[in-house]
Amino acid sequence: MVMKRVKESIIVVLSWLCSLLLAGSVATIIGYLLFKGLATINLALIFGDTAPLEAIFLGRQVFNGLLPAMVGTLALVLLALIFAIPLGVAAGIYMAEYGKGRLKGWFSLFFDILASIPSIVVGLFGFSVAVFLHHNLSERIYPCLLIAALSLAFLVLPYIIRTTQVALESIPVTIRQTAPALGATKLQNISHVLLPHALSAMMSGIVLAMGRCAEDTAVIMLTGVVASAGMPRSIFAGFEALPFYIYYISAQYSDSRELASGYGAAIILLIICIMLFGLAFYIKARFELTFTARSGDKRRISQRIMKAPDRRKKSLKVNFQTEQSGQGTLL
Amino acid sequence: MIQKLRQNTITAITLLVVGLLSVAAPTMADSLTPFQGETGTIKVSGGTAHIPVMKEAAKRIMTFNPEIRITIAGGGSGVGIKQVGEGLVDIGNSGRKAKDTEIAKYNLKMCKWAIDGVAVVVNPRNQVTSLTSAQLRDIYSGKVRNWQALGGADKPITVFTRDNSSGTRAVFWKKALAKGDITDRAHFVVSNGAMKAAVSQDPYAIGYVSVGYIDSSVTPMALDGVVPTLDNIKAGHYKIARGLYSNTRGEPSGLAKKLLDYLLSPEGQAIVADKGFIPVQ
Amino acid sequence: MTRARLIERALLLAATVSGLSTVSIFVFMVILGLPILTAGHFSELLTGPWSPDHGVYGIRSMIVGSLTISFLSLLFAFPLSLGTSVLIAVLAPRGVALAMKRLVRFMTAIPTVVYGFVGIFLLVPIIRELFVHGSGMSILTAALLLAILISPTMILIFVDSFERVPRSYLTAVAALGGSRIDKLIHVILPCSWPGIVTGLVLALGRAMGDTMISLMVAGNSVGLPQSILDSSRTLTGHIGLIISADFDSLEFKALFACGLLLYLMTSIMVVIIRSLHFRAGVRGW
Repeated sequence: MVMKRVKESIIVVLSWLCSLLLAGSVATIIGYLLFKGLATINLALIFGDTAPLEAIFLGRQVFNGLLPAMVGTLALVLLALIFAIPLGVAAGIYMAEYGKGRLKGWFSLFFDILASIPSIVVGLFGFSVAVFLHHNLSERIYPCLLIAALSLAFLVLPYIIRTTQVALESIPVTIRQTAPALGATKLQNISHVLLPHALSAMMSGIVLAMGRCAEDTAVIMLTGVVASAGMPRSIFAGFEALPFYIYYISAQYSDSRELASGYGAAIILLIICIMLFGLAFYIKARFELTFTARSGDKRRISQRIMKAPDRRKKSLKVNFQTEQSGQGTLL
Repeated sequence: MIQKLRQNTITAITLLVVGLLSVAAPTMADSLTPFQGETGTIKVSGGTAHIPVMKEAAKRIMTFNPEIRITIAGGGSGVGIKQVGEGLVDIGNSGRKAKDTEIAKYNLKMCKWAIDGVAVVVNPRNQVTSLTSAQLRDIYSGKVRNWQALGGADKPITVFTRDNSSGTRAVFWKKALAKGDITDRAHFVVSNGAMKAAVSQDPYAIGYVSVGYIDSSVTPMALDGVVPTLDNIKAGHYKIARGLYSNTRGEPSGLAKKLLDYLLSPEGQAIVADKGFIPVQ
Repeated sequence: MTRARLIERALLLAATVSGLSTVSIFVFMVILGLPILTAGHFSELLTGPWSPDHGVYGIRSMIVGSLTISFLSLLFAFPLSLGTSVLIAVLAPRGVALAMKRLVRFMTAIPTVVYGFVGIFLLVPIIRELFVHGSGMSILTAALLLAILISPTMILIFVDSFERVPRSYLTAVAALGGSRIDKLIHVILPCSWPGIVTGLVLALGRAMGDTMISLMVAGNSVGLPQSILDSSRTLTGHIGLIISADFDSLEFKALFACGLLLYLMTSIMVVIIRSLHFRAGVRGW
């Protein structure tokens, strides 16, 4: 009996120790970053020697500042999403509403594999395609903003497919069947009932995908990012990006000022990612609120009808997808 | 009172601006005027020793005429030659002469705009500041693994090297190591800048960088008694020297030619000297 | 054709294009890597040393590097994650559990390159001074950082599978006079083994697929590592470093072999997880 008590205490103590160790390491990492970098956060870090207003409104070039890298990252994220969202959402709708049997199983396997491919391999693919096209199609194609964005789109594509699919599939049966019972076609049901209902969940997935695009370094490193390019003006040119800047400075800073700007860049990227992450959670929280509070008796009943184990299965599925993309869990 | 102060300030600024213009204008105008009215992009990649000079030149050109874009990427000399040959960039930098096969294959034209040395560097905390060629070869082949054997601390040596696309490595390997082996325990870095940063962080490191990169964060090693200073390189005493080249496919034309001309202009050569290299003009 | 059919076709096309991209990445790697995969280089490729000076392009060291770094990080991260998950799901008071869960979610938002950045300037000097041997850029350094990177993946999946254990089982243990540790050891852990294996495999996949951390703090030397304090190069880091080589050279072609290996390894992990969940009776995989 005493032995058992001791054993139990050991387990409890170890469990607390593990948590403390984990929390401690994260606190150390973030604390170190803030301690070294907080003082560097000012306008000069972003705009360099150029006056901020002139840089923004007159297009004056910024040297020794983070602005080109920040704008480059923004352009990259938006461009990647422009490619990934239509394709991913369409494929997700297919998976949830039309796909069945063997074909759906194969698609599902392929999307899982695509989600698991290391980003550097996607980058290698993008680079090779660019060189291939350069040789065989047009001399004008080479690793550039467009190629990097396309490669990133591949990286987040399976992620958007899955969140769309899960968002649609988790809509309660009663809602799903109301419109068809009133004579709506399948397509009308999808576009007028199901998609509006799933929109918030899809949005929160898309915001997480943005975070993934913003933080990825391995893909862009191979597909067109450069250390010095100025503000992005053409999608057919090289560009700067925040995560690459951080990597570049960490390896080859030339003086303490450059190193300090690396700390500043790391803090800025961290803040951007955390904000996107928080936004995704906010959207999701609001979505759950709407679902339970504002949508009338029918929905409330349907929620109760929906079997709990089923929901959990779905949540595990999302976990798989999101974890693979390195961006946490949705449900 | 305030009025007067403001007036004084304005006068002071005006004077300052006029003064600056009168000093800077003649040289600025001479070297940069060819870029007037131009628009377009110049893509540069390759040798990393070139980057400080290229960056400064790009900054001045882009400030003079914001319609011109210059993107600068590293990668190493091999990359520069390959990419300019394939037409991926307009100018490919190399810290070594292009090989005859490369010149023939791509119809490369070389433009040499600076002379540079490759220096062996250690951390400033290291007491060892001079080596013989034989000792250097032993360190890089992995025969000597501890600083104690060379009169330093009892600490293992961290050997840093570059990958095969590096022109700095090619010159160092040929002229300093006499094409001897490099241990497979050596750490790899991707550029001259990275080499300097790595050696400055590790008290027991040894590496090799372009002389232009040397500052107080690393100590250059005397090799067989000769310190790698610009004077020693110029005089030919320090043997591990090389040119810095910018290569184009075919005769340079358009903006690329103007950039190369600028590097060879008095202002361009002043940048070269300012960044710690030896001008060619 | 009606509009409805047309749209259905379009949706199918989108799914097909997405699915085909998976296949095309594989096919591209194989075709471009073919010169070095055939031509009698194959065994030399997998088992030989990397020595471009001597025209030998073996990726043995990188395979060993990838495996040691990722398994070592798993070795660090697994107990850490299991302990934290137990705390969150079973032991801790509600407030603490919620706070820890938030922290873990927060961790998933930290960019990899930020871990690498702090690793270079904080962890590398510590490791260098702590051990007599090595430069601080080592397998150990990379594995420690990766452990922090992959822990949230495991914890979130572990906690999720702990919470899926039916309440009735737990009440039964309580009725028999069992403590919460009894519940943990005799019910929760045995019931959630598919989740634990899933978490482990996913975390391993993340560790193996990560590029930046090993590239930044493992030193990237090409020799076979003799100890965990030695510097090493991973398959992913190798791709990042050699990408600047001549595209038509054998040196570059070897990258496609690295890419293929990584592709196959992570695909196998996906298949393992899917079959695991198929057997465990979870639909929808």
